[in-house]
Amino acid sequence: MKKENKLKLSLQAILTDLLFWIYIFGCISFLMDRWFEETIPGLNVVIYGTVATAIVIIFGISIGRKVFLPTKRTNKKWYKTFWGWSIVLILLITFIVGWLLVEVNLYKFFTKFRNAGGIMSGIFDPNFDILTMCLTALAETIYLALLATVFAIPFAFILSFFAARNLMPKTFIGNTVYIIIRTIATLFRSIEAIVWAIIFSVWVGIGPFAGMLALVIHSIAALTKLYSEQIENIDPGPVEAIKATGASTLQTWIFGVVPQIISPYLAFTIYRWDINVRMATIVGFVGGGGIGLLLLQQQQLLRWHNVGVIIWLIAAVVWIMDMVSAKVREKLQGK
Amino acid sequence: MKNIIEIKNLHKIYATGIHAIKGVNLDVKEGEFLILLGLSGSGKSTFLRCLNRLIEPTSGDIHIDGEDVIDARGQKLRYIRRKVGMIFQQFNLIKNLSSLTNVLTGKLGYSSLLHSLTFPRQKNDIKIALKNLHRVGLRNYAENKIMNLSGGQQQRVSIARTLMQNPKVILADEPVASLDPATADSVMKYLGELNKKDKITIVCSLHFLSLARKYGSRVVGLKDGEIVFDGTPQEIDKKRFKEIYGEDAQEVEIR
Repeated sequence: MKKENKLKLSLQAILTDLLFWIYIFGCISFLMDRWFEETIPGLNVVIYGTVATAIVIIFGISIGRKVFLPTKRTNKKWYKTFWGWSIVLILLITFIVGWLLVEVNLYKFFTKFRNAGGIMSGIFDPNFDILTMCLTALAETIYLALLATVFAIPFAFILSFFAARNLMPKTFIGNTVYIIIRTIATLFRSIEAIVWAIIFSVWVGIGPFAGMLALVIHSIAALTKLYSEQIENIDPGPVEAIKATGASTLQTWIFGVVPQIISPYLAFTIYRWDINVRMATIVGFVGGGGIGLLLLQQQQLLRWHNVGVIIWLIAAVVWIMDMVSAKVREKLQGK
Repeated sequence: MKNIIEIKNLHKIYATGIHAIKGVNLDVKEGEFLILLGLSGSGKSTFLRCLNRLIEPTSGDIHIDGEDVIDARGQKLRYIRRKVGMIFQQFNLIKNLSSLTNVLTGKLGYSSLLHSLTFPRQKNDIKIALKNLHRVGLRNYAENKIMNLSGGQQQRVSIARTLMQNPKVILADEPVASLDPATADSVMKYLGELNKKDKITIVCSLHFLSLARKYGSRVVGLKDGEIVFDGTPQEIDKKRFKEIYGEDAQEVEIR
């Protein structure tokens, strides 16, 4: 093994051990607080963790070493080893802390079913008198999702070329463009559409337009990633051949790349519309308009029979979209 | 005859450190049918791709038809590339488009962006494309998608695409390596015809000595990125063959 490589792996091993033990003592501190109303101060947690790490390293029983550095293969059963029990310890302690944090209460779950009676009866006895109003709101949601997808396509289409490793020249500028677009796309995708919807409902006011803008941003980011990965998977042969005819870079992209990606792009776009319809419902909850907003209003008014209709309609639309988009994608990929 | 390709001290070192071409000097005369022989990995593909700069040479000097290839940038490079056709082992056609569209892409080096975007309505280009398809015996397959054609037919489409460029030189990178022997010979026949009738200089890498003897006017042997043989096809005897392919090699006859 190379020297610098070994140093790097050793550092990773030590860091793993540190995090492991500080986490364990952090959990112990939390449990002591819950059960005995006594905490270990934060600094002490770090100190104990560091001491524990030092001890396991000195005794050669560290977890990090087991993970990162090559160790002798032994036939010892896991329950006869220290690292085996360390893993049991961390899993067990995590589960207990999780149980307390999430306030798991099985008693409530099994005895308070009656509280949900209103909504349950609403679902099985929906009030179809408000169907017209619901369908209007539903149309709003579907069109909102459609427009968001359509607006996202041209941006994502163009960006995807600059976010494809195989098309960007391996120069400083090429790398910079690639990294910037990829990073921004990842960042914007990791911010949930619901957060964008809150921002835009303040910006342009509550309503479907705010919802659409939220989905446009999210769709551009998501499609750019999907599209560019598709470009990275194309057959490089035709691109090379077209370059060899003396074509310009733009011509090479149009004639060598585009024909290879057009049908997967369509498949992804339809899939995206499908996702957007689902997201549009959620986005409606925070001011994005459409069926989501209606659902929120009816729920707050405790009109469970109206809520019932809305839930059935959403389920039906999601089911139909899912089926249609799967069928269309099948056709596109089979071609 | 004048030299159409002049190569001086060509080197290619990949980023991985592999020294693929080690100081090759080679002059190719106009109208020659030059066969490149050598094992896989001997540098044939790299060498051919350096000639039209699909791969950037590390150092050296290349002139094609009097033009400096190494220094060419932008428009100049396009101008050189369109004079140099290229044929690939894997045909490198766009499989979900028709033969005609694929052949038309051979015209890209001559076309502005706007012109190329209106190919389907460029009557003159289509006429030439159909004529070239006719030449390779595929006039009736113009509307067929590439994926529905056989390997031999695909390679003929790619020859037609190259013809759109009006090339002075054709570089062929193992054009028949993925074809069966009979089809291989028929594809080589078309290349031979372009060489004889159209006076196009051809540089073609091959694996089969029998095809080299039949079509080549000159053979260059490449081994580990260096030229180890340069002569006529008839000069390759058992001894020379082993020099190029190594001691353990046996010549296999095809057909």
